[in-house]
Amino acid sequence: MDIQLKRGLLDVCVLAAIKNEDSYGYKIIKDLKPYVELSESTLYTILKRLEAASMLTVRTAEHDGRLRKYYHITDAGHRRLEEFKSEWKEIISIYQFVSKGEGNHA
Amino acid sequence: MLKQDFLSALREGLKGLPEKDIEERITFYGEMIDDRIEEGLSEEEAVNEIGTVDAVVQQIVAETPLTRIVGEKIKTKRKMRAWEIVLIVLGFPVWFSLLAAAGAVLLSLYIVLWVLVLVLWAVEIVFWVCAVALLVAGVGLLISGETPAGLCALGAALLLAGLSIFLFFGCIAACKGAVKLTKKIAIGVKNLFVGKERTK
Repeated sequence: MDIQLKRGLLDVCVLAAIKNEDSYGYKIIKDLKPYVELSESTLYTILKRLEAASMLTVRTAEHDGRLRKYYHITDAGHRRLEEFKSEWKEIISIYQFVSKGEGNHA
Repeated sequence: MLKQDFLSALREGLKGLPEKDIEERITFYGEMIDDRIEEGLSEEEAVNEIGTVDAVVQQIVAETPLTRIVGEKIKTKRKMRAWEIVLIVLGFPVWFSLLAAAGAVLLSLYIVLWVLVLVLWAVEIVFWVCAVALLVAGVGLLISGETPAGLCALGAALLLAGLSIFLFFGCIAACKGAVKLTKKIAIGVKNLFVGKERTK
């Protein structure tokens, strides 16, 4: 897959993984597993990028006697998800145009 | 490998990156391992799932911009003493020319690489131009009654056209190779600065 496209998609995936409730690194990877394989280093880079873009905030909380970082989606993050959904409608219609009539040739 | 071994090997491997970056990575990977253990994995299994230290280090180095790595390298951790400043100023002709030479060598490597690719493309274009010119000349010669010379020119035109098609794929491959090599050189330069202590 095109690297720019994939990067954009992964950003959205991570945002979607925290949109309903705050989550932590390992849980994000687990929740996304059925859809995309994400390595720790890749996730780290995405989280950093989203934090720099103010699409999420980080807080450290105690869990079971140790510290864990929780990621919280911001309004900008929610906006990005909405944006993605409307962009995707466009992409789907382009996809349908591209694959139009393919069935006839088969 | 146990969690502490993994994290200290990672710390060694990342030496040369800004201290803050290293700490953040260590915390991040530590948490990842702890969460897996909490899930029921043994410590060793949890570490294995993260991957090898080398693979993790390579990925981090590839993602960190070169400017950040070099910036960290030349940043002094304490205030410089007067004599150190004097030495640096006096030594300017020496260290500056060495640094400039190193930079120039890298730059020329890079230029040579791309010039090679450029030359290939130039040959490719020349082949095409000659093929077209010979085709025109061949047709002209045939019309003016010079049959042997005309046929010869047409044959040469076809030969060149054929060769240029082959060369075209060669050019594409050379371009891709050059891009890959450029990336490799960049990672190589970064590796000069990061994790040096590990190999010694």
